[in-house]
Amino acid sequence: MASIEFLILLLVASSLIAYLLTKVNSFLGSVFTIFASMFVFVSLAAYGFNATLVTDVLYLPGFTFGYTYLGAFFAIIVAFVYAMVSFFHPYFVDHYKYKNAYNMLFLLSLAGVLGAFFTDNFLQLFFFFELIVWSTMFLIPLGKSKSAAVTYFGYSAAGSFAMLFGIFVMRAQVGSFDMALGLSSLTGTNAIIVYVSFLIAAFAKLGVFPLHLWLPIAHGNAPHPFSPVLSGALVKLGAFVAVLALIRITPASGLITAINLPFAHYVVAILGAMSIVFGTLMAIREDDAKKLLAYSSMSHGGYIIVAFSLLDSVAYAGGFYHILAHALASAGAFMAIAAVARQTGTTKMSELGGIIHKMPITYIVYLVAIISMAGIPPMGGFISKWLIFQAVIDKGLIFIAVAVFFGSIGSFLYVFRPLAALFLGQELPQFKKTVKEAPILMLIPMVIITLLNIYTGVLPDKLFGFINKIIGELGFAPIVTSTFELHGYNGILNPALIAGIFGFGVVIAFIIFISLKKSKQVSLMETYTAANFIHTEELLHYSLDFYAPLERLYAKYINVMTDFFAALANKVKELGRLGKYLFMSKYVEVAIFWIVAITAFLLWGEIL
Amino acid sequence: MIVNILIGFGIAILGFVLQTSVAGVNRKIIGRLQKRYGPKWYQEFLDIFKLLSKRSISHGWIFDFGVIMALGGIIATAMFMPITNTFVAFAGYDNFFIFVYLLAVGMLGMAMSASGSGNPLASIGVMRALTTMLAYEVPFMIVVLTVIKLSGTSSMIGIGEFQQALGTNWFLIALPLGGIVAVISLMGMLGKKPFETYIAPAEIASGPMVEYGGKQLGMLFIMHEITVFIEVSLFVHIFLGGASNIFIFLIKYFVVYTVVNLISNVNGRFKIDQVVKFYYKWPLIMAVTQAIIAIYFGWVI
Repeated sequence: MASIEFLILLLVASSLIAYLLTKVNSFLGSVFTIFASMFVFVSLAAYGFNATLVTDVLYLPGFTFGYTYLGAFFAIIVAFVYAMVSFFHPYFVDHYKYKNAYNMLFLLSLAGVLGAFFTDNFLQLFFFFELIVWSTMFLIPLGKSKSAAVTYFGYSAAGSFAMLFGIFVMRAQVGSFDMALGLSSLTGTNAIIVYVSFLIAAFAKLGVFPLHLWLPIAHGNAPHPFSPVLSGALVKLGAFVAVLALIRITPASGLITAINLPFAHYVVAILGAMSIVFGTLMAIREDDAKKLLAYSSMSHGGYIIVAFSLLDSVAYAGGFYHILAHALASAGAFMAIAAVARQTGTTKMSELGGIIHKMPITYIVYLVAIISMAGIPPMGGFISKWLIFQAVIDKGLIFIAVAVFFGSIGSFLYVFRPLAALFLGQELPQFKKTVKEAPILMLIPMVIITLLNIYTGVLPDKLFGFINKIIGELGFAPIVTSTFELHGYNGILNPALIAGIFGFGVVIAFIIFISLKKSKQVSLMETYTAANFIHTEELLHYSLDFYAPLERLYAKYINVMTDFFAALANKVKELGRLGKYLFMSKYVEVAIFWIVAITAFLLWGEIL
Repeated sequence: MIVNILIGFGIAILGFVLQTSVAGVNRKIIGRLQKRYGPKWYQEFLDIFKLLSKRSISHGWIFDFGVIMALGGIIATAMFMPITNTFVAFAGYDNFFIFVYLLAVGMLGMAMSASGSGNPLASIGVMRALTTMLAYEVPFMIVVLTVIKLSGTSSMIGIGEFQQALGTNWFLIALPLGGIVAVISLMGMLGKKPFETYIAPAEIASGPMVEYGGKQLGMLFIMHEITVFIEVSLFVHIFLGGASNIFIFLIKYFVVYTVVNLISNVNGRFKIDQVVKFYYKWPLIMAVTQAIIAIYFGWVI
């Protein structure tokens, strides 16, 4: 029997052991990290999936835990991403300045994640959130930039404190920090305040417009093996809070009858839709592969927000499945990029090319991940997007639909860029000799994730069984599924059939291909160049500003949000300067001003 | 199950033969339009089989694998396509989204293969093709959203039968603004002028196709014909009331393809940013207006 308390204590203890072990020998410490995170994932998956986790507390005074299907769903996904990424540690920690702290903080943040998803008390939720933020904040500066950690912390802290404010408002009305009780018994204005403040927290954690600016900075500059954790696992904390706010709280707001949706939820859906569009547009023009994927996370965060704001069980099923599919896809893609970065030393698309000939397995991993990310069958992302489309169409949400479809087609564009620029195209001479396929220990988790990406897209039945339990727990009717079929509002999906027919088609095409005359292998440089002789690979590698004509159409507007926040910061600084001038300065005129003001005030009282 | 797969494969082959013949006839029609004699109607078949029999070059495994994935994906998509109300391989699974997204697998395979050839012109072609896709897909899907919302099903046969019922018009007539958008989007999908920027033979040496020859090119031609079959059939089922028997389907199919082809032949070619600007201006506005009118106000002819 595994108890949640035991797992958390185990992680805290093993983080200390990892610290000491890594100090002695970094490889040993990293292997220990793998074992610790794998152990936690396996026990969570084994006991959490069947709801047999023990929630008793023996050693931690004041802490209480509770098992919910919702928490278990998130915890299993996040622990899985952590466990998979830990396989990268033996190859990466040596590059970092504080390698022992790296392993320690990694395990400590996992402990925080477990606590956050299994606690039944809001104050503890806040505590565990802070544990995650503080432990990961020291992980991020080990990568490229120190200031990235500041941005990450700033946004996370804004979210956390908004949530704390909401928690206190709730406590004032309900008189308890209990999660189930608190959320269900909120009424009136308090419900609206808590709804808004929780959503601020959710948006900040999930990186959804308008609180998205930290995503590319943190994801792009974090250590390579930590980016998959950030995107695949930690931003899902925001989705968790969003579920709490959007589904469990019912703020009083007018119902828009045409679309059968409360105004409060429609506004959130619009913000999610904007996040989809802006994330897509920014991802299309990004040059750094990791930042591109970060913007794609923003866009997918928008899908999750849209799904949970529709008050509809099919949309919820789509949202939960999207969390799973995106966690797998984004972890896979980031891990493939991390492998490329380790072998070549860069993630800039303009500096890479033709890696596929040296790293074919990494290429396949990335390919499957992006197929899922773009929502193309037969991968998991298609199923979740299909469910979300069902709900959007059923409600007749036209403007949301524009964004949802735009993001879905736009994702073909941006996911294809790293594929073409990193892996395909001309093989650049600087990588011809030096680059090798990633080491076997790194390939293991990537292959596992690839297989899971395919599994989620072919046989989602078991997973939807679990998701239906979550939806039932949230008080909605479960969606209709059978062994192979998913029922939406306007159609039936049979993912296994699609995958099977796709396989059949490929076999037919392969037979046609193989039965025809064998083709002659030529080098990549022997291409049609209109009779000009070009001997440099770089000149034949089109990857810089790939979508230049499209980018030009909106290049003017890309800095709007950055400028807005800069202006906001400037205004806050000005306010501070005014305060400083009025209260802290030694100018004579200020002293005279205060004397006059106070005298006037006193005289005013005298007159009255 | 085996029978269903065989029927589906039969539909894919039918689609190939049908579209290749219709395309051949259309070459003749366009020839007469331009006061030429035009090639034989089976010229397209000759082209393809000649290519398949020739020796070719290959730029590495991804170059070949992409072609296989492209053709495989498109064959798989075609296998789900219904021809008439009853002539369908997998009844109940002819969901609109399957066609749109399974088609994308084939496109991705082709894009991958073209980029893998290492020719910058191919990459530019891929870039233009994806950009064009971003342009035409959104207005089209908004119109289809309206259709699905009105008919309550996303099954091709279901939408067809909804229009065949007494007292309902074809959606091309019932949703006039949406119908216009659908025709324009169909032209983009088929890569007809003025939206043929991604092929642009004189400009970027046929774009994605520049490096291909022999069997790879032949397979991509087959893929292209089946893709056109899928897209035109989608239009027939969604906007022209489907087909209760195969002759009606053939007539509607021929008319749609020929009309689109005739329109395209009096046009020039847009630049790629003009394509995007165009689709996100009038077609999108018209599609959204149509959706609002039809869904929120319920005004359908």
